[in-house]
Amino acid sequence: MNHVFELEGVDYQLWLSRWQQGYRLHFGDEVLASLDLSHQGDGCGLLTVAGASEPVRFAVDGDTIHLHIRGRTRVLRYRDPLSAHALVKKDAGLLVARAPMPGVVVQTSVSAGDQISAGTALMVIESMKLESVIRSPQDGVVDRIHFNEGESFEHGAVLVTITEEGH
Amino acid sequence: MRNLPFDTVLIANRGEIAVRIIKTLRELELRSAVVYHDLDAGAPAVSMADMAIPIIGRMPVAAHLDTAQIIAAAREASAGAIHPGYGFLSENADFARAVVESGFAFVGPTPEIIHLMGDKIQARNFVQRNGFPVVPSAIEEDDPASFIQRARSIEGPLLVKASAGGGGKGMRIVRDLDTLEDAIAQARSEAQRYFGDGRLYIERYIEKPRHIEVQLLGDCFGNVVHLFERECSVQRRFQKVIEEAPASTLSPGLRERICETAVSIARAANYRNAGTVEFIVHGGEFYFLEMNTRLQVEHPVTEMITGIDIVAEQLYVAGGYELRFSQPDIVSTGHSIEARVYAEAPERGFAPTTGKVLVLDYPSGPGLRIDSGISQGQQITTAFDSLLAKVIVHSSTRNEAALTAQRAMQELVLLGCETNASFLACVLADEQFLRGQVHTGYLDENPQLTACDSASDLSTFLAAAALLTRPVRDSADAVPELHASLGGWRNA
Repeated sequence: MNHVFELEGVDYQLWLSRWQQGYRLHFGDEVLASLDLSHQGDGCGLLTVAGASEPVRFAVDGDTIHLHIRGRTRVLRYRDPLSAHALVKKDAGLLVARAPMPGVVVQTSVSAGDQISAGTALMVIESMKLESVIRSPQDGVVDRIHFNEGESFEHGAVLVTITEEGH
Repeated sequence: MRNLPFDTVLIANRGEIAVRIIKTLRELELRSAVVYHDLDAGAPAVSMADMAIPIIGRMPVAAHLDTAQIIAAAREASAGAIHPGYGFLSENADFARAVVESGFAFVGPTPEIIHLMGDKIQARNFVQRNGFPVVPSAIEEDDPASFIQRARSIEGPLLVKASAGGGGKGMRIVRDLDTLEDAIAQARSEAQRYFGDGRLYIERYIEKPRHIEVQLLGDCFGNVVHLFERECSVQRRFQKVIEEAPASTLSPGLRERICETAVSIARAANYRNAGTVEFIVHGGEFYFLEMNTRLQVEHPVTEMITGIDIVAEQLYVAGGYELRFSQPDIVSTGHSIEARVYAEAPERGFAPTTGKVLVLDYPSGPGLRIDSGISQGQQITTAFDSLLAKVIVHSSTRNEAALTAQRAMQELVLLGCETNASFLACVLADEQFLRGQVHTGYLDENPQLTACDSASDLSTFLAAAALLTRPVRDSADAVPELHASLGGWRNA
């Protein structure tokens, strides 16, 4: 069975199979054999690939896997195909402005039900030191403002939803 | 050790700089007190300080800008002095005045100097009046009606800046004059929110300059010395990323002129305590940029090459002592580099990142110093500045320092919140950086540095992630390979 991991916005399909005392990774045309990862406690592990072992540091937080290998830190997300599908369905019919980065809402310029045109300023957000304006990509009606002024949001949070109707 | 007129110092700051100050207070056998917002309850400064006093605010930053709460905390701690650190109220003349008038020693310059240098326009005029070079500019309050017109008449791209500003806040580059008025509006809004002061000025934006600054120390007897310069040209969005001392490519003559000019500016201002004069350097020319009347984030590189604990000297000056050394006593040895570890994603335009610190392991070794403001289990939010820690190295040569710093960035393990550590390692190994050919536009011109290792070791990372993910292992275990079933080995 194929599994999907997301890394820096790209999805990678792979699967594992048992092989000898350990596992094999099937990834595209590649097969990595004689794999294993032993836990040594405190987020330390020993990754073995084809008989060669190297230390890894890891932290697993739900579907998110944080890894430090060979001097680099990467965050991978295990994608449950069902939840990915649900997200798309929820957004269908609505235009969604998502947070490009975590931050704080400085000002909201419109309310639910407002008729807006392409380019209308919807919200001013601030992240660290920079303010930016979220503008409507097209004509429509404001469905919902998801955060009040002064509230903070995380990366990818839905800030404003717009419906295309009412014009 | 000299006796100071206070035995407890309140630190009106947080993060790595609060920890940094506590370390010196311990060495001087002084008691430390720190104010903290609830979000920082798990921060190392709070557990390290002898006393930690909570402060409140609707926005966390607002708590740290609340003079009344901080003075009340100082009273509660029976402190004799207040150290403001950097940022927050460190360059607020009203705060410094309130501290002094409430009977505390302020670990910094006088309110008058903070006021003079804190207003970028006044500071610029002061420096120009005293015969030192400044960049061509238009100042709004000279005549608000003609501000835009005067700005337009400055040649070249423009830089819109907040009069009360610093640290990149309220700054905008304008290359197309049609966007000037938009840039003014946005800069004014930011300036109003951050500094409560929307006044602006506009100056010629000098392309590809170096950012060189000089560390100064002054006492209340009129003595001023410099602790040499720092090179802080590696920046993104006006925010310093890597700093070093000395500035490797300055000619000895230019270096001396810059350091002398900084001392002369400080003398003319009757400066006391630690301060920094920033210059932009272009070719053989240099211009006054601003004076920071506080401890700088990057002060450790100066401490490494001079062996002087700048925070200790700040405390002695605040305690009324004369400087313990004169200019010839101060010598520079070797090379030091500081790399700032930020909670940000360089590959996503340096967007800030958040998360809980799940694993934290700093490198250690000779010539390595870590100034950290976080601990394992702490939640990183966007409520405060994104600086998590500073990795500082000291070696005999610049190349060695760069190599040590690069290795340290690779050895640093911080899981749970994305950081710029890999990016810093790439910059520290970049040929242009190693040749010393950096300017303030260097990072913008080299976007490949933000993705310099994005493709490598992909299958290794995927293998580790797969082995750590229960459903992926389970589906493999559910279909055992022939060899595996023959061996009778079961995964626990």
